[in-house]
Amino acid sequence: MSEDGFPTAEDGFDDTGSGTGSGIGSGTDSDADAGADAEALDALEEELRQTAAVLDPLPAGLLQLAMDAYALHDLDARIAELTFDSLVDAVPVRGVDDPPRMLTFQAGGLTVDVEVNGDGLLGQVLPPQPAHIEVLGGPGAVRPLSADGMGRFAGDTPPAGPFALRLRTGGEVIVTEWLRA
Amino acid sequence: MDRAEVGALVQSAVDGDAAAWKALVEGLSPLVWSVVRAHRLSDADGHEVYQTVWFRFAQHLGRIREPDKAGSWLASTARNECLKVIRGLTRLLPTDDPQVLDRVSEDRTPEQSLIDAEEQAAEAERIRLLWQELEELGDRCRQLLRVLMASPPPSYVEVSVALGIAVGSIGPLRQRCLRRLRARLDARGAA
Repeated sequence: MSEDGFPTAEDGFDDTGSGTGSGIGSGTDSDADAGADAEALDALEEELRQTAAVLDPLPAGLLQLAMDAYALHDLDARIAELTFDSLVDAVPVRGVDDPPRMLTFQAGGLTVDVEVNGDGLLGQVLPPQPAHIEVLGGPGAVRPLSADGMGRFAGDTPPAGPFALRLRTGGEVIVTEWLRA
Repeated sequence: MDRAEVGALVQSAVDGDAAAWKALVEGLSPLVWSVVRAHRLSDADGHEVYQTVWFRFAQHLGRIREPDKAGSWLASTARNECLKVIRGLTRLLPTDDPQVLDRVSEDRTPEQSLIDAEEQAAEAERIRLLWQELEELGDRCRQLLRVLMASPPPSYVEVSVALGIAVGSIGPLRQRCLRRLRARLDARGAA
């Protein structure tokens, strides 16, 4: 693997047999041969496409969920963008088997810190302020969280699968970016 | 999907046209699915990534800066979410379990029900063999071909963001991988 993760021959893009690695088997191909070869490769790709449709199709239930997701389209809510995700941004701690997932979302001057662990979910709205907070689990799946006047909130069930938080505070609705817990 | 068409559908969906959203999902879901499958996640993880991508797309719908590039947005988001899953599973590598193949051939093959004529049996065998050779092609080739296999076919820009490969490299790599697959099929006497 090269620096940027780009595949090298060792990663499986190598040709078998030809040995040159040039991608063109020999220097004697005429244009006509090259054209015929390109057509044969196109046909093979198309055959693969049909194979995938038979052996690895998109499950109908998932297609329906994506259809239903239109209900999540909410022009009135502000999006709080994910600005820190321990899965990506944190240095792994040696010896900690199952570290909690730490997330930070930001919308303008408002910050939402969230910790997700095996026991549930803890969070803090900054600057501290009262907020009404719900966990969304998909189109139509809404669960309220208990929140105090200082913007601290907690839930005793960890989100399973994709989730977002919807906050109502100071007359505004803010939704965190959808994430997989 | 044609980019101008995608851009127009995104705009209509933003304006409240549910049919436009449906058309977007129908046209671009196979791409998202292919990217997820190319990364070899477990079924459960893959399904969650797929949902996350579409939920986030719905959420960002009115704010996507280049609506005609929605396909690339989806492919790129799918890739990032897949990589997060893989990072989260540092101790559990993506499956190379040969039983995955068995499961595909035993539980998931709609063609099983079709095997009542010799011709169809031969076709089913060809499909099974193609899939098996694809699985054994090496990770990078398998991944590239799995994304290219989406129907409708993705653009090279979409493939590029889905896999983090430069657009200009996709054509040559595609050729090499398809030739490699063909060579394996030839060796099995199945070309």
